[in-house]
Amino acid sequence: MIKKKICMLGAFAVGKTSLVQRYVHSIFSEKYHTTVGVRIEKTQVRANDADVDLIIWDLHGEDDFQHVRLSYLKGSSGCIYVADGTREKTLLTALNLKEIAENTLGEIPCVLVINKLDLKDQWEIDQSILDDMKRKGMMIFQTSAKTGEEVQQAFQLLTQKMMEK
Amino acid sequence: MGSEAVEEKSLEAFKKLLLQPEKDRIRQIENRLNDPMIRAKETGLFLPEAISFSVLNGNRLSRVIQPVIDASLKESVRNNPKSIADAIFPALGPGIRKAISATVMGMVQSLNQLLNHSFSFQGMKWRFEAFRTGRQFAEIVLLHTLVYKVEQIFLIHNESGIVLDHVTAKDVVIQDPDLVSGMLTAIQDFVKDSFDARDDLETLRIGSDRSVWIEKGEHALIAAVIRGNPPVDLRIRFRELLEEIHIKSGMALEKFEGDASSFSVFREQLKDELGFQERKEKQKLSPLLICLILAVLSLAGIWGYHTLRSHQIWNAYLSRLKAEKGLVILSVQKEKGVYQVFGLRDPMAHDPDALIQPEEKFRIKIKGHWTPFYSLDPELILPRSRQILKPPPSITLDLSQGILLASGQASRDWIDIFQKTAPTIPGVKGYSDQGVLDMDREKLDAALKEISEIKLYFENNSTRFIKAQEDIFNKLLETVQNIQELQIKAKIQVQIMILGHTDSSGTEKWNQRLSRDRAEMVFNHLIVHGINPYFLTISGIGTKIPLKEETGAEERQYNRAVSFKVFHIPLT
Repeated sequence: MIKKKICMLGAFAVGKTSLVQRYVHSIFSEKYHTTVGVRIEKTQVRANDADVDLIIWDLHGEDDFQHVRLSYLKGSSGCIYVADGTREKTLLTALNLKEIAENTLGEIPCVLVINKLDLKDQWEIDQSILDDMKRKGMMIFQTSAKTGEEVQQAFQLLTQKMMEK
Repeated sequence: MGSEAVEEKSLEAFKKLLLQPEKDRIRQIENRLNDPMIRAKETGLFLPEAISFSVLNGNRLSRVIQPVIDASLKESVRNNPKSIADAIFPALGPGIRKAISATVMGMVQSLNQLLNHSFSFQGMKWRFEAFRTGRQFAEIVLLHTLVYKVEQIFLIHNESGIVLDHVTAKDVVIQDPDLVSGMLTAIQDFVKDSFDARDDLETLRIGSDRSVWIEKGEHALIAAVIRGNPPVDLRIRFRELLEEIHIKSGMALEKFEGDASSFSVFREQLKDELGFQERKEKQKLSPLLICLILAVLSLAGIWGYHTLRSHQIWNAYLSRLKAEKGLVILSVQKEKGVYQVFGLRDPMAHDPDALIQPEEKFRIKIKGHWTPFYSLDPELILPRSRQILKPPPSITLDLSQGILLASGQASRDWIDIFQKTAPTIPGVKGYSDQGVLDMDREKLDAALKEISEIKLYFENNSTRFIKAQEDIFNKLLETVQNIQELQIKAKIQVQIMILGHTDSSGTEKWNQRLSRDRAEMVFNHLIVHGINPYFLTISGIGTKIPLKEETGAEERQYNRAVSFKVFHIPLT
């Protein structure tokens, strides 16, 4: 059994936890976020003919990304960055977090998830920016807590990338 | 010639013009290459990059440089030990402190146990064992007393917090080890970041009984969940195991990519730690304690039997009391081990204390508080009547529907007592003495009859008694005395009239006188013998009431006599 640690990062209130809730299991409550600053979750993904246990370090989101504990990042094989489509600033935060994580970990497989697709009409993030980022090789998923399918695909793709590395 | 020289000169000048800069640069390079100072300066500039390239290409450099470092370190220590000491002091200090604290903790633990066990029976046993096996007493104590159980052991990859292996003891409830391991790693980072701690988190305490021991190596750590009171050297064993894992799988740890399968080779060793630690001793009961328990149990048994027996005796006694006539139980209670009974007791009832068997008195203390009363139980009325009336043996008492019946013979005195007292006896509604014969009256009547038959005879025309009448006289005296006594007893006042008689010869006047004289004669005789004169009257009746018809001389003699008649005098 392969086990991979991945980190999930994003600005405050981008809906990380509710997004993954259906796909992960945890024995820890939400309270860990505000106390220890991280909540460990687990899910299983099948990629490249192998079952992979993803140990997800769901890091407490903060707009002031200085407060993300860098020590929690170490040993990660991949990252999921989450942004809120209705708040452009959160995309900036996600990209900043990506930079910080890559400073610590080097370049590792990652995916960007833009949440709140159900509020697409209120989106501040321009589709063209996302297309531009896709062209540069960024894997981007648009999802909502309601149509969470994309999340599973994000996990799937991230795992594949990690396994190929 | 001149032109050649000129040509030569200009060529030289041209060459110089053309090649001088290169020449200068070559000279400069030559100088740089020949001047060790310059080269050293330059090497110094590139050295960090050179070393980092060398490191990237493998660790040849470290192998090459190691002897130099060793030699220089030795040299340095020889020449300037202080600076080395200063340099390593920050690293050495915590290490020494750690070692000392571990030792001191161990000492405190053993001292504690030594103190606990030195003076007990067990302690003596262990001292003997130490003496027998040649081991230290402290070691024996530790061996016997450490009760702990390693419940779970995690082998965790330091960096990622991923579980490399996880073993659990039997019957231990566990959570998902991956999540626990992740969180444990996060908490370690959290503690380190939050408190700016240089040392790692070593122990988590959960209540007073459980702890998590964390022993950290370079790439992996062992976290053990332990219940109870583990010895400090357990940590040393974890460290040794961790070192072994690092030696055998150092590369795999360093380049760990998430595949933990290769670490399963250490599972048995990890399990051994679990199994080995399960040295939970069976708590044997000391013989002293067994004796004590037995003693307590037997005391409790004796007490229980005694209590039960006392209770039985008490209940039996109470039922006997209840069955008893003339005893009424009002209340019972047990106070300070004494059974107490409060009630009413008829004087005729049996003594309640006599109802306790002598052997029971040893087992149970009973105290009765009895208030006297009269019971109206028919069974008690009769004895009570007997006790009060004290009837003579000739009297039989009976009770019929509250009526006290007396029958038989009794003195007048007793009959009077009966008549007076019987109605006052509690429970007696009435009485009857119809069946009682007044014995005094009977005797009196008999005596009166007797006296009426007595006659004393006199000589002709004389107040002299004819001979041989002493017996009659004695009989008379006795009877009179008897009557005198009986009339008092029978409470009947009588008077005895002494009647003087004569025969028909002589004048009536004479006879009258003679008869009176004769009566007086007897009267005097009786008085002389102590008879009360008030009890006697005399009367001379001459020939008025002859005792016998005078048909001949013989019959005449019968009338020369004194007879007796009794009068009842009504009591005033």
